[in-house]
Amino acid sequence: MAVEIKNRLDLAAKSSDYMHIAGRKIENIHEELLELEAKGEVKVIHIKDENKPLYAETLFGWKKKIPTNKLWHHKSCGQCGNIPGYPVSVLWFMNKLGLEYIDERNQTSCTAWNYHGSGTSNPVGLAAVAVRNWHRAYELGLFPLFHCATTFGDYKEMRNLLVENKELRDEVKKIMNKIGRELVIPEEIVHYSEWVHVLRFEIAKLKKYDLSDVIVTVHPACHCYKMIPEDCIYDKEIYAGKRTAVSTGIALALGAKVADYSTWYDCCGFGFRHILTEREASRSFVMDRKIRPMVREANSDVCITQDTGCTTTLDKNQWIGKAMGYTEQVPVMSDVMFAALACGADVFKIVQLQWHTTDWRPLCEKIGIDWKKSEEEYKAYLEELRAGGKTVNLYEYPS
Amino acid sequence: MEYDENGVSIVPFEFKKEIFEEAKKDFRYEEYVRGCLNCGVCTGGCPPHRFFDFSPRIVLQKCKSNDPALVWEMMDEYIWACFQCFTCAMICPFLNSPGGVIAILREIAVRRGFESAKRVLKPYSRVLLKLTAYGNQLSPDMIQPDFFPDWGPHIGYASQDLPLKRKAIPMPTLQVTNLAWDVAPETMKELYTIFDEAGVFKIIEVVDPSLYEIIMDIIDDVRSS
Repeated sequence: MAVEIKNRLDLAAKSSDYMHIAGRKIENIHEELLELEAKGEVKVIHIKDENKPLYAETLFGWKKKIPTNKLWHHKSCGQCGNIPGYPVSVLWFMNKLGLEYIDERNQTSCTAWNYHGSGTSNPVGLAAVAVRNWHRAYELGLFPLFHCATTFGDYKEMRNLLVENKELRDEVKKIMNKIGRELVIPEEIVHYSEWVHVLRFEIAKLKKYDLSDVIVTVHPACHCYKMIPEDCIYDKEIYAGKRTAVSTGIALALGAKVADYSTWYDCCGFGFRHILTEREASRSFVMDRKIRPMVREANSDVCITQDTGCTTTLDKNQWIGKAMGYTEQVPVMSDVMFAALACGADVFKIVQLQWHTTDWRPLCEKIGIDWKKSEEEYKAYLEELRAGGKTVNLYEYPS
Repeated sequence: MEYDENGVSIVPFEFKKEIFEEAKKDFRYEEYVRGCLNCGVCTGGCPPHRFFDFSPRIVLQKCKSNDPALVWEMMDEYIWACFQCFTCAMICPFLNSPGGVIAILREIAVRRGFESAKRVLKPYSRVLLKLTAYGNQLSPDMIQPDFFPDWGPHIGYASQDLPLKRKAIPMPTLQVTNLAWDVAPETMKELYTIFDEAGVFKIIEVVDPSLYEIIMDIIDDVRSS
């Protein structure tokens, strides 16, 4: 077992000059998008200097520009509804880093649940919703940052379909006219985990705890790196460029040990439909294909995710494993929540781990975080609010 | 509806042909169905393949066979096993997307109001209601212990004192219980126009007429507010 773990710990920090080509020849959609803009067919939301962009390499070695400032938060249903510490941690870091953003009510879900889950939508509806939300960021002069991996995957796909299909563009333009908006497409579709990745060394400067004894296993999200894979960040210094770099990158930058496990490429078992209506499949998948390998092969202290559905599925479906005699448990949280913990964010008020099901307290204790003190303060805070006190917000609506 | 011994609905060949033609006419179809070597890499990496009688290789092979009867065999239970993770699309050496084909076939099953689709989607009513009528879903008040008993005893945390706990979240947009985030009524109205124009409401009317009525009532209220 010890040898096995040692080998698994060495992989994440391996580097190489490896480049993914694998015989795949794919048109660079970004060039086609700029051609459409030149013809006046679409407007492009460009990443400007004021967005303070940083660059990363994608699967084929293309450069991806990641805006870090003046951002419009496109929130995630499942994060806001069930994992509130997820978006709160993103905003907490933006405040710490002095960056500008807007978080507002004028946005809808990407509605891709109706695409992948129930089939109750169509490309025109999905593309129009995407453009509607993109246009809201555009009219505010901000660049949209997508919190959910399914939004990220869906919007990458909708962008490609819009660029490649005039009929779809025309249909969407007609709908946009009816709601007083225009057909705009962002220069890049950017996921929050990419924002975290390019700022990982800045974030690591805020670190308050030593993570050198913490073993992390990373669950990469399918809708991040499998949908439109050429648009996803890879780094030759991380897993030798053979796996997506986001999430692993921030864990390494924070000084944690990142451990490989044999089923890293498997999905979480969410399945959209299955998590609601056929959960025995989801929970079997969680335990057999993810949690048990993470614990048994890598002795993992924490599973780090980069998406909504994965965090929920992997966290919530461990308890029931006991019915099958599965004793393996590992706390689950997103990369940005883990980073916030490491940088001293409050466990209850900011990272909000109290909503999580699998026990995260042993992880806090290993890191050296006094979660009991944090819990007491949170309880007192709730009583203040109950008595009519005002919430201490990270952000207030623009007046 | 009559079913054969494999649980596949029995319909005339002409109808099967009509359904397959509808799939092939979808502008995404040619992007998703290219050449197939039958190598099985997609199935080797497919997560639901480990737990279900489901194989993305078979999805592609049936489409490539050009036989409407074979495609029809997938239209009931089969298409709903897919996790929509797109592992198949990522690893296919020919750039096929079996997951994409599944999305097309599901949309047809729903649009046509197939009984199997109605049955599969029945437990989805709340998600569909929230998402379509209010603009987002998976709201905090949906996490109830009686619906998620297998998520363990701690799941009750979310249903106790929920308004107070939500008020304590330091983002004003999240300080609600009936939605994932607070959506402005004007934003909802834009979404209704999109769904009207794109035919999304019509799809819901076909697949769940009573849910459609409830959604329309809510929309009338929001529109007149």
